[in-house]
Amino acid sequence: MTDYWPWWAGAIGLALVTLFYTLTTDRSLGVSAAWDRVLHWREERELERLDAAFDDDEALQEALALATAEEFGAPAAGHGASSSGGIGKALDSGQAGSDIDSGRAASTAAPAPRPAPLATHAALLISVFVGGLLAAVVAGRFELRLDMGEAYRTLVTDNPIGMVVTLFVGGVLVGFGTRLAGGCSSGHGLSGCGRLRPVSLVATAVFFGTAVVVSFLLWKVI
Amino acid sequence: MRTRGAVLLASIVTGLALGFVVASIGFGDFGELNRMFTFQDLRMFFAFAGAVGLLVVAFALLRVRRTPGRIHAGVVPGAVLFGTGWAISGGCPAIPIIQLAGGYLPALCTIGGIVVGVRLCRWANTHFLHLDRGSCGL
Repeated sequence: MTDYWPWWAGAIGLALVTLFYTLTTDRSLGVSAAWDRVLHWREERELERLDAAFDDDEALQEALALATAEEFGAPAAGHGASSSGGIGKALDSGQAGSDIDSGRAASTAAPAPRPAPLATHAALLISVFVGGLLAAVVAGRFELRLDMGEAYRTLVTDNPIGMVVTLFVGGVLVGFGTRLAGGCSSGHGLSGCGRLRPVSLVATAVFFGTAVVVSFLLWKVI
Repeated sequence: MRTRGAVLLASIVTGLALGFVVASIGFGDFGELNRMFTFQDLRMFFAFAGAVGLLVVAFALLRVRRTPGRIHAGVVPGAVLFGTGWAISGGCPAIPIIQLAGGYLPALCTIGGIVVGVRLCRWANTHFLHLDRGSCGL
């Protein structure tokens, strides 16, 4: 079994992963958001369908406006080609909502791009599993086991029923809390703090601080 | 333009790399996590903080857009719940997947809890809380 990575290798790895996703998708990396969309796939799929229909309407309006302008020689009442389809198209092409601004627009808050397609979030979660499996196998750490390790037995509980209950309750708190806060350690912690977003700095300080207090309680008190 | 296929491919590559990196740092190991949160071993803390530092510089140099985000009413209570859950289960949303991939079968319980918690939050927000929570990573 090989050792865990040194801190600097981990820092470079986490930064590269976040940067790669941001630059290639023009969106922020966030695992809890992926969970949220995948677990509400019916609603999200319907939203995507409506979004696509809206896109078509925009294209139709644009074509009608252009035809009107050609026929009557003037833009149609301030709408038409100059504005119809503007937001939808611009966001689709990654311009108005681009994560990579050029020029002074970088300092202003541009509208956020559309959510990544639902399937990409499902792919992200499945890929995390495969990546974790590869790491465990390569490092010689893979081992099927029915416990969470010696530290969990010592610090939390050595009772199997207690372990199941604690893990489940912990998972509920993680799921509920991350969605209530609007992000997790990747969304707020890496992507948000990397952008110095006040909301992410506050969220990260609070969830990290809370985890410190609870961990000390587990270690020293309980 | 980011096509659907390009975003899908990028998500797969990101997921693979994220799973590999997070597991290799040791975030899936409850003992390592507790030692980080109790400051007995700052290796993982420095990995996380170092990544944030590198990203601050990289995002600034690349002029990456600062997405709007306000401190809404759900931020602090949500973060408190998340921090508590992370400390007692050892899992932030990606980590139980990585624990399961490493052979820790009880991580299925954490994943089950996350499924319930995420669905419960949207339900509670729709029916009772009515918070405009904003969201990362969409």
